Amino acid sequence: MKKRLRMPALLIAGGLALGACTGGASTAPSTEPSASAAASQPAASAPASPAESAALAEVCTAPPKQDGVTLTFASYGGAYQEAQRKGWLEPYSALTGVKFQESEDSSNATIKTQVESGQVTWDVVDVGNDFGLDAHADLLEPLDYTLIPQAEILPGFATTYRVGDITYGVVLAYNTDKTGGQAPAGWADYFDLTKFPGKRGTWDYSEGGIFETALLADGVAPKDLYPLDLDRAIKKLDTIKSEIVFWPGGAKSQEQIGAGEVAMSLMWNGRAWSAKNVDKKPVEIQWNQQIVTADYLVVPKGSPNKDAAMNFIAWATCANNNAAPSNYIPYGPTNVNAVANPDTVADLSVTNADANSAYFDDAWLVDNFAAVDEAYNNWKTQ
Amino acid sequence: MILPRPLFGRSGRPPGDPIANRWAILALPAIAFLVLFFLVPLVYIGARSVSDFPDGVEPSLFANYERFFASEANVRVLGNTFWIAGLSTVACLVIGYPYAYLTTIVRPRIAAVLLIAVLVPFWSSLLVRTYAWEVILRDTGVINRTLLAIGLIEEPLPLIRTTLGVLLGMTQILLPFMVLPLYSVMRRIDPEYTRAAANLGARPATAFVRIFVPLSLPGIMAGGLLVFVLALGFYITPALLGSPRDTMISQFIANQVQQRLDWGMASAMAAILMVLTFVVLLIASRFVRIRDVFGAVGEEA
Repeated sequence: MKKRLRMPALLIAGGLALGACTGGASTAPSTEPSASAAASQPAASAPASPAESAALAEVCTAPPKQDGVTLTFASYGGAYQEAQRKGWLEPYSALTGVKFQESEDSSNATIKTQVESGQVTWDVVDVGNDFGLDAHADLLEPLDYTLIPQAEILPGFATTYRVGDITYGVVLAYNTDKTGGQAPAGWADYFDLTKFPGKRGTWDYSEGGIFETALLADGVAPKDLYPLDLDRAIKKLDTIKSEIVFWPGGAKSQEQIGAGEVAMSLMWNGRAWSAKNVDKKPVEIQWNQQIVTADYLVVPKGSPNKDAAMNFIAWATCANNNAAPSNYIPYGPTNVNAVANPDTVADLSVTNADANSAYFDDAWLVDNFAAVDEAYNNWKTQ
Repeated sequence: MILPRPLFGRSGRPPGDPIANRWAILALPAIAFLVLFFLVPLVYIGARSVSDFPDGVEPSLFANYERFFASEANVRVLGNTFWIAGLSTVACLVIGYPYAYLTTIVRPRIAAVLLIAVLVPFWSSLLVRTYAWEVILRDTGVINRTLLAIGLIEEPLPLIRTTLGVLLGMTQILLPFMVLPLYSVMRRIDPEYTRAAANLGARPATAFVRIFVPLSLPGIMAGGLLVFVLALGFYITPALLGSPRDTMISQFIANQVQQRLDWGMASAMAAILMVLTFVVLLIASRFVRIRDVFGAVGEEA
């Protein structure tokens, strides 16, 4: 019974996220300002032509047989790639005969190396939210939106060179042993060392949410985050600087919060989930003021299997397939019509999205990377 | 009739002999390897540093270098890099010198054991050793847990995310590069010199400081230079054991390569580090023969 009740919850939350994204200036901004999104999204809101609709429907249920084709799929390895393998790669192979070769070391730098040297071996790459924008046009193939169901993807998450494949949240996780059993209510409590003494974990990356969460804690509304007020964020960060512990990667963040090396941490929701459910540590998630973001699929420019890659990407983002990895890991769909596994639906970022949720403005972040990173490096090393 | 000549040995020719030099051809694969995989990439990096600029940067020959030095953080971290490399060198010397000396005065069998003990860490990867240090040093690690349990401290001691943590990690990794050159020089110091000093009335400490230490200087210079230059390039250890204040330039280079995708800047940073390293070698070459450092350490001592 309880499980059933969660289903509408997903739809409502999904709708909320949708509303938040499309509501314009009065609510949370989408990951990309609507103007630039419109410019880079062909036929974003225009109804698909009948022929296109047919192509869309077909690729979702009966993707073309392509025996003998091998696609190289690069992602981030571990339990994450395992979920993508079981949810997407294996079923797609069974349906189409396409074989997959996998790399577990996705990196923007490797894509750049492959494209620059003309030795492109990756066909489909799962990348973070800091890649796949117009600034990277030289490195990527435009996606085929006659196949990909763009209208069903969360607004702003399907643009010229990338389409979100899974959503996740940058959340506030806490170790209940270290917070005296109390739950921090949001980022303001993360910055409150009197109420919650103890170390604070955060990602050692200027554009991974450190400035955004500082501003949210300081009272900036999610919709007003960009352009980032770096001075204000740094002033706020200075108040807890001595207690900050930086983590270089997801595995480390999971270990730190689990061991109680930090009392609270900015984390990816899947890692916090694993600390609690896999490592069996006293770790909980505060979803309030989470930053909803995504990983994206891209096709490096010059991929020898471009067309096959487009078919696969379209299939994986269809409503009937997009949520499949959520059977194995609490990362949710980007397709608003996709139905996540009822057992994990409560643990997904999109399910917990509300009016307090924030969204990265990836285009702004990429365009201002040098300035943001310089401010971060300068602050951090002082 | 021309007889084949022996390559080595008492009847062999001096190194300048043209016939012996024929065998230099054997070095060709090594030279080709170095040119192809070291020199060419190096030239490429140099070229890239003056030709590859991201959008929004006015292209000019030294634009990347100007951008580097315009950044406070870069200059600070470059300073950190040399400071931490210097501290590591001193730490290695303080630990390595007595150790190497001990190795020269004990019986050969014990000396062998001592040398192997220095080399053992070489057999496990740098990453594994750094992670081991982390487990030992962190707030919930072995040391702090123990001290907390026996009630000696109330709060965990700040061991990890400190310069001390970085130094511990780096010193352990770099120690063999200090001990081996020192040992090699020390064991060739004729004990008769110190004995002569004693005969002339010097106390043991005086004889050691006035006679033995100066004679071991080539080893100190060789080991010190080797450790210092290697330390300049450290990356993982400061990232895992240090605080952000202990950031070293390699971490910034990686950031440019992997996250900023600004490879022109990354190339300029690599070039700056390399040039400064050469400056160090140049200055050092006034005091020590560089080939002793990287080659036949102490052979002539």
